[in-house]
Amino acid sequence: MKGLRLKYRTKEAIVGYLFAAPVIVSVLVFAIYPIFAAFYYSLTDYQPLEARKFMYVVDPYGALELHTGILREEAGNYTLDELLANFDPIQFVQLDLGVNLDDTEKELVKRYFDSASLISDFREGKLPERLKVSEFMKRYMRAYGHKFSKYVPKFVGLQNFEDIFSDKLFYTSFWNAFLYSLVVVPIQTLLAIILAVAANSKIKGVGFFKAVFFLPAITSSAALSMVFMLLYSKPGVINKILVAIFGKFGFQPIDYLNEPSIALFAIMAMNIWSTAGYFMVTFLAGLQDIPSSIYEAAKIDGSNKFQMFWKITMPLLRPQIVFVSIMGTVGCMQVFDQIYFLVRNLRNITISYYIYKNAFEYGKMGYASALAVLLFAVILILSLIQRKLIKEQY
Amino acid sequence: MSVRPSSWPVIVSYLILIIYTIATFFPFSWAILISLTPITYFDDNGNERGVNIFDWPPKLKLFPKPSAFGAPLTLRNYKLIFEVVPLYRRWLLNTVIYAGILTIGNVILNSLGGYAFARLNFPLKNFWFTLFLALMMVPGQVTLIPQYNMLVRFGLINTYAGLFLPKLTSIFGLFMMRQFFLNFPKELEEAARIDGFGILRTYFRIVLPNALPAISALSIYTFLGAWNDFQWPLIIMSSKENYTLTLGLNFFRSSYYTYWQYMMAASIFMTIPMIIIFLSFQKYFVESGKAVAIKG
Repeated sequence: MKGLRLKYRTKEAIVGYLFAAPVIVSVLVFAIYPIFAAFYYSLTDYQPLEARKFMYVVDPYGALELHTGILREEAGNYTLDELLANFDPIQFVQLDLGVNLDDTEKELVKRYFDSASLISDFREGKLPERLKVSEFMKRYMRAYGHKFSKYVPKFVGLQNFEDIFSDKLFYTSFWNAFLYSLVVVPIQTLLAIILAVAANSKIKGVGFFKAVFFLPAITSSAALSMVFMLLYSKPGVINKILVAIFGKFGFQPIDYLNEPSIALFAIMAMNIWSTAGYFMVTFLAGLQDIPSSIYEAAKIDGSNKFQMFWKITMPLLRPQIVFVSIMGTVGCMQVFDQIYFLVRNLRNITISYYIYKNAFEYGKMGYASALAVLLFAVILILSLIQRKLIKEQY
Repeated sequence: MSVRPSSWPVIVSYLILIIYTIATFFPFSWAILISLTPITYFDDNGNERGVNIFDWPPKLKLFPKPSAFGAPLTLRNYKLIFEVVPLYRRWLLNTVIYAGILTIGNVILNSLGGYAFARLNFPLKNFWFTLFLALMMVPGQVTLIPQYNMLVRFGLINTYAGLFLPKLTSIFGLFMMRQFFLNFPKELEEAARIDGFGILRTYFRIVLPNALPAISALSIYTFLGAWNDFQWPLIIMSSKENYTLTLGLNFFRSSYYTYWQYMMAASIFMTIPMIIIFLSFQKYFVESGKAVAIKG
């Protein structure tokens, strides 16, 4: 009996690992490794174009024909020495193969490039037709060929972080993300609670309201951005309505998205609109868990509706409030799509957009990684604070 | 005549809900209206006339024929987006493939993993679990760049594989499935074991068929997230024929800047499948709404 149980436990362990393996492997490859890599990149000057240079596929014949001015079919007519006299390895690699070399790499090519073997392969027609730069270098370097197989970014220590603290756009984008959370999270939470309380007060058609309020949450932020781009445009319908109402008080149409002092707030309003109804569902579920006997007791004690709301409803909704505000803060600190579509002015960008721009537009991945690491730290601190707040409550 | 005091809160509640309903509907209704407005139309004398969608008032008419801005409303723009941008069909296909593969992958792999973490004992289980929990704190911006570089190294940039490989499992999905299996009645599995079922057979024959509610919720959540995803495809897909619908919208903006009608048609078009899914599976949305936010 004991032996049988042991056998079952071993089986269980094996099956357990088999079942969990895909998730574990995926997390190791696509989350754990990237986190370490991000910390490492943040200490380097990682440049994506440089990183790719050894992976380009090149055509050695074409490059050599270009370099020597001699067609491959005619190469046999010349002696090795004649061809070598016109061959400069550094120029060949840099200009004809198109691989950008730094100073150490130049030095290595100068010393160890096996020109003779390349030229003789050229003469005898033994060159490969197409191959990767890394393979080419491995083949024709007498030594240190591996230096050309993998890009190693230059280690710069804390230079990126020093640069960040003197980067105006960092402060702007970071502050914008922070302001974004500071405005959006409390308003959307309060609005969601109000809607939930309203929906919980013995009314008909709760299902209908819930469905309607969910609508913006299932719509992509890309599509919503397009819709609001139209609504917010200067001749757009929001201005038309406001002019119709407030025109006689001197209201002038506003170009919401092109006005740097207004644009971010306009996007915040859109975000609140698109998530408040969604979070209302969370609160409604919380409200429905509050036993009505508590309210009845309060009524007997003579509390009015307002007192009940602040003294009973709000404290009992605390778990949902904490959950919604953590989710909201984490989301807002990383807001990207809406910013990508709607922001027209660098003064209005947020940190995640600035990270994206640095990494994928400016080609400064080391710097972008340092920004991301900093964002990570801030989000971590914010959630630790929020977590501590929960602990104090229970 | 007098209203009972206790009915005031109900009236106020209705008022709040109705006002917010209007506020929610308004942007959608306006977008739909614009998407139905033609760019040009033929008037009674057979002359082609342009339409200004910024006219005010919008001259909305339902009878005898629905019209706005003086032009008859039509569904033609929804057909025209496929003609004006020939790649639109391809983008739709890409989006369906991306969302479909992600859904299948997440359902299979996360339910396997979720069951292992809920029910099976294996070495280091708690270590992995704590690690996953901690990873939920890491913002996507941190892993984005190394993930991209890794895909560059494997030559997977601008390919379907690069788009979906890193997204085939999710920690959130794993937790969701684990939670479901934790609440799953143990008696069923014990009965199966007494009947001589092994772990694998118990899982595939007894547990999985009963996990349909959780699997549905996870599928819907994954499908929706992938369908609406923007930043990841933006980074991975560089050539136009590999775009998804969200990236395609961006293309509309630059090339057809003034054609708001097409842009709204494209925006509404890509929302319709989500609304259909939502209306058909509403109860699962509310369930997942308790546990997680779809977006920030």
